Amino acid sequence: MALLKVEGLTKYFGGLRAVHGLSFEVRSGEILGLIGPNGAGKTTVFNLIAGFIPPTGGQVLLEGENIVGMKPYAVTRKGIARTFQIVKPFRKLNVLENVTLAAFMRLPSRAEAEHGARQILERMGLGLKVLALAADLTLSEQKRLEIARALATGPKLLLLDEPMSGLNATEIEQASLLVRDICKEGVTIIWVEHVLKAIMNSSNRVVVINQGEKIADGAPEEIVENPEVIAAYLGTKRM
Amino acid sequence: MRKIVIPLAILFLLAAPWIVSDPFFVHLMIIVLMWTVLGASWNILGGFTGQVSFGHATFLGAGAYTTMILYLKLGIAPWYGIPIGGLAAALIALPVGVICFRLRGPYFALSTLAVAEIVRLVALNWESLTNGPVGLLITTLPDVTFWGWSIDWENKTPFYYIIAVLALGAIAATYKMSRTRLGAYLLAIREDIDSAEAIGINTVQARVAALSLSAFFAGVAGGFYAMYFRYIDPDAVFSIALSIEMVFIAVVGGLTTVVGPLIGAIVLVTFGETFRQIILVGHLILYGIAMMLAIRYMPEGIWGKLRLWFGTRY
Repeated sequence: MALLKVEGLTKYFGGLRAVHGLSFEVRSGEILGLIGPNGAGKTTVFNLIAGFIPPTGGQVLLEGENIVGMKPYAVTRKGIARTFQIVKPFRKLNVLENVTLAAFMRLPSRAEAEHGARQILERMGLGLKVLALAADLTLSEQKRLEIARALATGPKLLLLDEPMSGLNATEIEQASLLVRDICKEGVTIIWVEHVLKAIMNSSNRVVVINQGEKIADGAPEEIVENPEVIAAYLGTKRM
Repeated sequence: MRKIVIPLAILFLLAAPWIVSDPFFVHLMIIVLMWTVLGASWNILGGFTGQVSFGHATFLGAGAYTTMILYLKLGIAPWYGIPIGGLAAALIALPVGVICFRLRGPYFALSTLAVAEIVRLVALNWESLTNGPVGLLITTLPDVTFWGWSIDWENKTPFYYIIAVLALGAIAATYKMSRTRLGAYLLAIREDIDSAEAIGINTVQARVAALSLSAFFAGVAGGFYAMYFRYIDPDAVFSIALSIEMVFIAVVGGLTTVVGPLIGAIVLVTFGETFRQIILVGHLILYGIAMMLAIRYMPEGIWGKLRLWFGTRY
């Protein structure tokens, strides 16, 4: 059964059609890549799923339950965690506090929450940075902190918004491994990315959107061959 | 160190009116402690939660009027009226919070300013309850006897002890709050409200809780104000000047610190009084310059800077 089902999702910002009649589903345990050229509506889709903006129409079903209209915190409590494309750490708090705050959602006692947070930070390669201020981390570390914080809420579904942007080639390689590891441990992932290489290697399936509409949906190998996708990314050849 | 400093400070606070018995100094200390409660109130919302309010006089006035009206119309003595005034202010904070917290940043700040003006106008015009612009006046306070020892309300010392207890209560509550889960949530909201929502924090609920706690202390200080000055009117207790002064106390003392409001109140009240003594005309200009210098060179506040030397994070 599909973990998440998006049906006819539509969002207008005034007269601007950001997302139009978008439908796709995510199966439990997979990594779904969501790609599209600049301004295609990828981040808007995330904001709609996570409750940060209300859709104009359509449904988002998590395990069959419509979560449209829920506030972001309620969506998180239902089991959908997200990261932000432009990182939003709690800058003046240290790394451990950043993640402990998120762990409070499942573990109300501070000792337990801190313990859980430390384990996650260890896994994300931030074990030596627990006492550093979030503001003092490098971008790559801040990106991992975002993921650690999202994981600390114990999600079923993790929405990653361009976790690779701004990272160098080595960091991208490491981050891809990390994402695959997280998936192996039972967290389903939707991954929005602009860096195509990383997503093609790691995703089980890819959905391509352009101008708010789905133009392709399939295995990564099929997607790269799809003429519509190539046209959307590279433009059509003038005859 | 903390084990020595805190009891010493409390001891000093309790002994102060015996050390300096000059009524003017006792009055000054009362005002300092009253502003400590108000600064602490503002700090809970503006410091810990990062939500700037320009309308905290709303809650001060609500507490003052509640205490006054309960005493004048129902004969309920102010020592019950003061905590009830605090509760009334906290109650008013609920709808104010639910409405104003739909807005963020400067828009929230402006909406609190608007609320304070609305409440002031209501108080001015609802004459049957508030006596309108004429205000309310207490002529005598009820007799209180402890073990055959009757309290002299014409003396300032009893007021000093009442406000000292309230100030200690406000500081203790700030300390306690900063160590709870709510306190941690408030810091998260201050740092980044979207991220706070994204990790499952109900940010409206948490902010309304912070506002209510903050309003409670402003209301309590308002109740004390009414009882101490024995006269209130809408322009006095709902004035923008009061709202702004609370901001200054909290900022100059040190935002998001536990002790900051006390330091801010000591410094600003002393400065204000000293300038008033030295120059009769234009003392507010000097006060304003002092404030600007403090904010320019100590954006983290006086205590925010000093606390590092004392090796404490409170």
